[in-house]
Amino acid sequence: MTATSNAPVLAASNVTMVFGGLTALKDVNIELHEGQILGLIGPNGAGKTTFFNCLTGLYTPTRGSVRLKGRTLPSDPAQVTVAGVARTFQNIRLFPSMTALENVLVGRHSRMKQGPIASLFHGPSFKKGEADARTRCLELLDFVGLSGLDDELARNLPYGDQRRLEIARALATDPAVLLLDEPTAGMNPQETEAARQLILSIRELGIAVVVIEHDTKFIFSLCDHVSVLVQGELLVEGSPEVVRGDPRVIEAYLGKPPEEVQAEVDAYAAESSAERTSIIEPIRDRRPNEGGQQ
Amino acid sequence: MNIPIGWKYLAIFIPSVLGLIGLLVLIRFAWKKGTEYVTPRPTLSRPLSIGGAALGIVAALMPWATFVLNEGAYPDKSTLQFFDSPWAVSGFRLHTLLLSLVALAVVFAPIRKHRIHKALGWSLIGIALINAAFIAGNGGGFGAITSDGSSFAFGAVIGLVAGIALVFSGKAGPVEPIPHLSTDVSRVVAYAVLVVSFTALLLGVAMMLNAGGQGGVGNPYAGPIFLSLLAFFAGVLGALHAVGVTGWISRLSDKHKWFSIVVLLAVALGLPFTEAGTDYWMTTATNIGVYAATAIGLNIVVGLAGLLDLGYVAFLGIGAFVAANFSGAAAAKMGFELPFLVAVIIAAIVAGVFGAVVGSPTLRVRGDYLAIVTLAFGEIFKKSAQNDIGGLTGGANAIPGVPPINWFGLSFDKPLEIAGVKLPSGVMYYVLIIVLVALVMVVFANLKNSRIGRSWIAIREDEDAARAMGIKTGKAKILAFLIGATLAGVAGAVFAHKTSTVAYDSFQFIESVTLLAAVILGGMGSIPGAVLGAALLLVLPEKLREFADYRLILFGFALILIMRFRPQGLVPDKHRRAELANEGAEGVPIEELNLPDDTPGGAKAQVAR
Repeated sequence: MTATSNAPVLAASNVTMVFGGLTALKDVNIELHEGQILGLIGPNGAGKTTFFNCLTGLYTPTRGSVRLKGRTLPSDPAQVTVAGVARTFQNIRLFPSMTALENVLVGRHSRMKQGPIASLFHGPSFKKGEADARTRCLELLDFVGLSGLDDELARNLPYGDQRRLEIARALATDPAVLLLDEPTAGMNPQETEAARQLILSIRELGIAVVVIEHDTKFIFSLCDHVSVLVQGELLVEGSPEVVRGDPRVIEAYLGKPPEEVQAEVDAYAAESSAERTSIIEPIRDRRPNEGGQQ
Repeated sequence: MNIPIGWKYLAIFIPSVLGLIGLLVLIRFAWKKGTEYVTPRPTLSRPLSIGGAALGIVAALMPWATFVLNEGAYPDKSTLQFFDSPWAVSGFRLHTLLLSLVALAVVFAPIRKHRIHKALGWSLIGIALINAAFIAGNGGGFGAITSDGSSFAFGAVIGLVAGIALVFSGKAGPVEPIPHLSTDVSRVVAYAVLVVSFTALLLGVAMMLNAGGQGGVGNPYAGPIFLSLLAFFAGVLGALHAVGVTGWISRLSDKHKWFSIVVLLAVALGLPFTEAGTDYWMTTATNIGVYAATAIGLNIVVGLAGLLDLGYVAFLGIGAFVAANFSGAAAAKMGFELPFLVAVIIAAIVAGVFGAVVGSPTLRVRGDYLAIVTLAFGEIFKKSAQNDIGGLTGGANAIPGVPPINWFGLSFDKPLEIAGVKLPSGVMYYVLIIVLVALVMVVFANLKNSRIGRSWIAIREDEDAARAMGIKTGKAKILAFLIGATLAGVAGAVFAHKTSTVAYDSFQFIESVTLLAAVILGGMGSIPGAVLGAALLLVLPEKLREFADYRLILFGFALILIMRFRPQGLVPDKHRRAELANEGAEGVPIEELNLPDDTPGGAKAQVAR
């Protein structure tokens, strides 16, 4: 999975979104490369979700374009997913009365080929396709750390596991780009750290990741590149260090002097590396195995 | 002063309703207090169950009615004097006796008793209330079930007390788990168990269908006989469930799926050979089959894809009219006759096309709005058929004289004789519909366990999330409508030949509602549920003819109660079960499923639970 030159996987250029008289987004540019984790932060109402919706085909930008591997994204969420952009939701939106495995199998929908006729007769090729999908989805459940829970109803899973399941479901669509909408909302520090490790291992599969988060510490410790949206405009972008130190960001978003933020981030990094050994090991152990199948 | 008669009725009606509500509240309160009292006292369980069982035996041997009712003697020698001839008890009294004897035996058996006693108790309560309400309500008054001059007939009252005692004996102490019997038995044993249980099911169904005569013609007491038999069977099933037998059988049949399907088919085909093998029941069973096949089709739309369709019977109608027009009937628009199988295929295709047409607005509307759109479509169909649009439906004259299906010189409406056994007429339609329902079941099950079925369920659960997973929701929804309508069209073609007259008024709104009720009653997304729902909705009205004007009221009441106490349906789909059944650790005991079908008195006990 070496980088295919410098061409970005996902490129948003001059994305502008106008609702009536309100400009929600103004000339937002973003480039995402293979294996990159991009953080998108900004205060409430900055246009993060609007931008996300432009990336997932829910909205068509008023001006500007979003391109995936050089091709303009279609303006339909289903087709965007087929094209290779998968997403999770800010407030978990699993299929609650389906089992964990069935949820992931739904994610696999667009990569399976059986039509109505094949589904009616359950012939040998249908059975093979179904078995393959099942195997793949079980691997994904395993990858996100939900092995053995495949027969559990999604509604009965604990909160953190539901988040993982949503990620597994998104991964089942074989995405080139994974969009995570506040993946750690409502999580405790351990779960947050586990999520961080999971996202890092997703990157190693060669999938580019965009993360929207409120938790700036989480973003700065995770991302390669951070973009800050304020009032619909891209205020600052760059490496976490650059963004973290930028006085405008601090003023607009963090509201704290840089030294204090730096200290917090350092403390967080130290803390999490200590925990990593205990909690995260199982997931990391599985990763090489999983990567081999890619 | 001349008081209008309406006011007089109101003057009676309002106090009685208020009194009834008061009574219900009182019973509920007493029930709750009683439960609170016995629950922490497990030592009460044994005396209560022994007492209850003994009372039940006494009740069975007591007279139940003090005098002979105007419409003739109440069945099973209800005026028989106490211990007059203990071996002569039959019918509901015999059932009471059997239930009580089993309850007594269970007390001394080394097994978990609570659930068994509860099931038997509910059954006793049901039998007592049904018969009491009927004897008292049918002109006897309370004197008929208590004492009248020198004769005493406390059978019903004692039976009720016995039932309550048994239920409370099951409530004393902690809730006991249902035993989990292992399915690790040899193939021979498993097969034998399956054959025996399915055969028992068949005999039970036949017995129930014939209870009190066909449809109550000639027997004024057919309704209560049927209902109390239902209560008895419910008790037996509940007790079997309590010892884990029903769960065991269902797991065994899961394990030996194909064998079960074959046996079930054979059993279904065996119905004409039982006592229910009459013209009347063959016709009813065929109608049930038509409705069941249609309900399974509707189950795809409503149960899987979650699209509420209130005009679904229109597709049945379209199938029927298409088949009628190609049948060679005198009033048919097409002047020629097509072979039945060809007509079926055309009917299915036409219905499917209409299904897709009706489905297309669903791309834009959701939920309630969709329900209105489908409702409108149903009305459009009915009105068009009524006004004979295009001369295809015969309007008010209908299309009469649709000839029976005729295969290789075998006319489907004639009686049949196989190896000396005379089979009722209509038996071939019955066989045909059984095969059709089996096929429709396979279609449903295969679709459900496929990529398509999962996409439907995903749409039902969360349409936006489904779209974000790459499901083209518009296409999927239209496909659901199309396939559902196709199945209904096939059923309609059979219906046309069976009834021989296809008229617009067989396809009205109330039929759509009945179909929807069958799906919801049986359990959304569940195949056996849809069949059971259709069967109940068609058999109960036949069986409750004695209740005449109150029939629909009782029916509606029963539906409300089932939705209150078992929202997941009678035979729920595993997903829905998990979703709706979390009302408490013990869930709803199975014996309550049938109780709501009884008289208002029975319903009272339900509310008071």
